[in-house]
Amino acid sequence: MSKIDFDIAERIDWTADVAPIAWPGDPEAAARTQLRALRKEELAIARGFYKGASWPYAVISLAGFATWLALFPLTILHLINPLAACLVATLIGIGGFITGHEGMHGNLRWNTSKSAGKSQTRRDLLLNEWVGWISLIPIVIPFTVARATHIAHHTHCNDPVRDPDYCDHAPNSWAALFKTWYNRQPGVQGVQYNYGRVLRAMGTPEAEAAQRHGLLYHLGFLAALSILAWTGHAIAAAMVWWLPRQLALSYIRFTFSWAPHHPRTQAKGRYGNTRVFRSRCGHLLSAGMQYHVIHHLYPNIMIHKNKAAFYALRPVLEARGVDCSALPQRD
Amino acid sequence: MVFVMQRLVKMTPFLFGIGFIAPLLIQIMALGGFAGPWGLSRAAFGLAFGAGWGLLAVWRGRWL
Repeated sequence: MSKIDFDIAERIDWTADVAPIAWPGDPEAAARTQLRALRKEELAIARGFYKGASWPYAVISLAGFATWLALFPLTILHLINPLAACLVATLIGIGGFITGHEGMHGNLRWNTSKSAGKSQTRRDLLLNEWVGWISLIPIVIPFTVARATHIAHHTHCNDPVRDPDYCDHAPNSWAALFKTWYNRQPGVQGVQYNYGRVLRAMGTPEAEAAQRHGLLYHLGFLAALSILAWTGHAIAAAMVWWLPRQLALSYIRFTFSWAPHHPRTQAKGRYGNTRVFRSRCGHLLSAGMQYHVIHHLYPNIMIHKNKAAFYALRPVLEARGVDCSALPQRD
Repeated sequence: MVFVMQRLVKMTPFLFGIGFIAPLLIQIMALGGFAGPWGLSRAAFGLAFGAGWGLLAVWRGRWL
């Protein structure tokens, strides 16, 4: 008789009314039946969060990009305080990452009655590409690089070698904040180095194109800043592009990469590669990353629905062994 | 070509120093009404500072 997986059995809520329990037969078969029932229940709940209007992401990305462009003449003509411009540009950079991220997962749809994750039309593909490219310009990341490395992060989450975001690991929040800066230093094997390394290892035509785009963006950004600066607009370039990009990237690395995956030594399984945590900064400032487990389980659920999806899925997650104790039982 | 690009990327802190830091410093000094130290013009000081800091970043691998 095969060994009973007590670890699995212990995590199952045996009182849940989800499926007939195959008892007193083979206990392992009973555990499997329960797990299958849990999986079915999980999928049924998750699918309820797939549909919904994604057009606000497209509108926000377009409006954000237009506003960001407008900040240059507004700052140059002294129509806006450079510090205010810097703040607005930083928010646009962060927001752009969020809208671009939906594009990375192909979640944007022309036809809102269709679920994300189902087959895309050509128009859907173009919409995701467009939103992705324009959203990420303020933080100077080519969409192809972001998409390929982000999918690698999902596929190999918390793998020290194959997860391109693993370099953000740090023992505490202060060290993590420091690392957001340190990992951007020219001689450090930080984010840029690891993204390049992972893209080279992929070896696909898409990854090669992404590397070319990365190089073009790197040199293009330098050229654009230099042209703006030497034509007398250095302060505008610094306050609308260079500094907001630094601030936005630090926020993104800390909030979207370090916080939900800390301490990165967790199991690599789909239920264990993120953590559920209570943020001191609140839901909005932490961009809902407390519920990042939902994103890793169902990347096609758009970010604004992760919180609701978490509370709907919480009993299933807890049955699967996810530690949800950091958050209250109900929102 | 790859070699040239690699060298170019390696030198970007220096290029950033003369391309961006230098004019930024010059314009900040002009805005604050500061003259260049040691009898240098703002442009000469900005370029020396930007190029020096950029070269240091290339050499050390860090800006600070």
